[in-house]
Amino acid sequence: MVPDGTHEPPNFSAALLAEVDGLYNFASRLTQNGSEAEDLVQDTFARAMAAQAQFRPGSNLKAWLFRILRNAYIDGRRRARHGFELRTRDEDDTVEVHTELLRGDFELERLRRVVAEDIEAALSKLGDEARTVVLLDLEGFSEAEIGEVMGTPPGTVKSRLSRARARLRRLLVEYQR
Amino acid sequence: MSEPEHGLEAAERELDRALSLLEKRKAPEGLKARLGAVVEAAPPPAPAPAPRVRSRRTALLSLSLAAAVALAGGMGVGWFHAAHDADALVTEAVNDHLRLLYAARPLEVESSDRHQVKPWFEGKLDFAPVVAFAGDDEFALAGGSVAYFMDRKAAAFVFKHRLHVMTLFVFRAEGLPWPHTWNQTLGKKNASYASSRGFGTLLFREGDLGYALVSDADMPTLLRLGTKLVEAH
Repeated sequence: MVPDGTHEPPNFSAALLAEVDGLYNFASRLTQNGSEAEDLVQDTFARAMAAQAQFRPGSNLKAWLFRILRNAYIDGRRRARHGFELRTRDEDDTVEVHTELLRGDFELERLRRVVAEDIEAALSKLGDEARTVVLLDLEGFSEAEIGEVMGTPPGTVKSRLSRARARLRRLLVEYQR
Repeated sequence: MSEPEHGLEAAERELDRALSLLEKRKAPEGLKARLGAVVEAAPPPAPAPAPRVRSRRTALLSLSLAAAVALAGGMGVGWFHAAHDADALVTEAVNDHLRLLYAARPLEVESSDRHQVKPWFEGKLDFAPVVAFAGDDEFALAGGSVAYFMDRKAAAFVFKHRLHVMTLFVFRAEGLPWPHTWNQTLGKKNASYASSRGFGTLLFREGDLGYALVSDADMPTLLRLGTKLVEAH
């Protein structure tokens, strides 16, 4: 694998293949369907290979690939469902009042009882953009890199991530009631 | 630090703990194999990678048989050495499918209307490709292109199934190392299925024509399209 996710021409193919697991993990959590995730990763590879000449050497290959995958996912959803819109504000902006719930020991105790199935379920209930920003953060991207993938300024990423995490906490607390 | 801030930090830490419980899903081995084959077969980045392949193959046609044997190794064309091996058809079909996928212009005629795609081949081939299946909701016709299958011209019909691309090559059948036994049936037609480098290939004959259907879609999907192609005849 090319260090730091950067691109050097002789290793482009190897660097692509080194990202397959990360891309598949991202795709499977976006689509919540293994077969669709495989299609999405294949589509990402096809797009990346076709656009290889446009890739700027020295820039972040991993972020570039994740951006391609996210765009392919959005394109696919738009094709599949006429009028598809990213769920960004419907539920994710309503969390502020609920964060108060989490500041007591009782609520913390509930969070401590969370198991893997709970976080899987809570993540699947997030809107597309909220889930994306959480997944990219989990993947180890910086806020600037997440902004590169999502096409948004780092400041916007920071606020989206904060709202998404708050909603996740609220969902997790509700599961423990 | 105020009490509420302290509580929020503790909650954030608990969320981090919960997120660490998430399983990191690994890509299936079959997917990795297919992507490895795609990357391996893709041409190097260049403004127009496809014509290079096409011109090399066109040059091959103009060579005599003896010259082709002599030059094949040096030109990186391995198919001739395997010409007496039935697997050569499968290898050739997968390679041609990949070349088409990564050509600068994969489709020379883009249309979902068979009545536009099929006539487009007139004058471009030394035979009439017989493809009666017009595509449907499951297998949408995307278009066609002239290709080369081993030493001869072929008509390539491209179908889309979800995000899978399925290429049907139609070519003159005589003189090729067809399988001696068939392992599948498409309606009443015998066919041969083989998998190579993560791609499935379905071979069958109809009269003087040979057909090779190639895709990374699974075998049942290939057989379904193959059956529709045969039954439409």
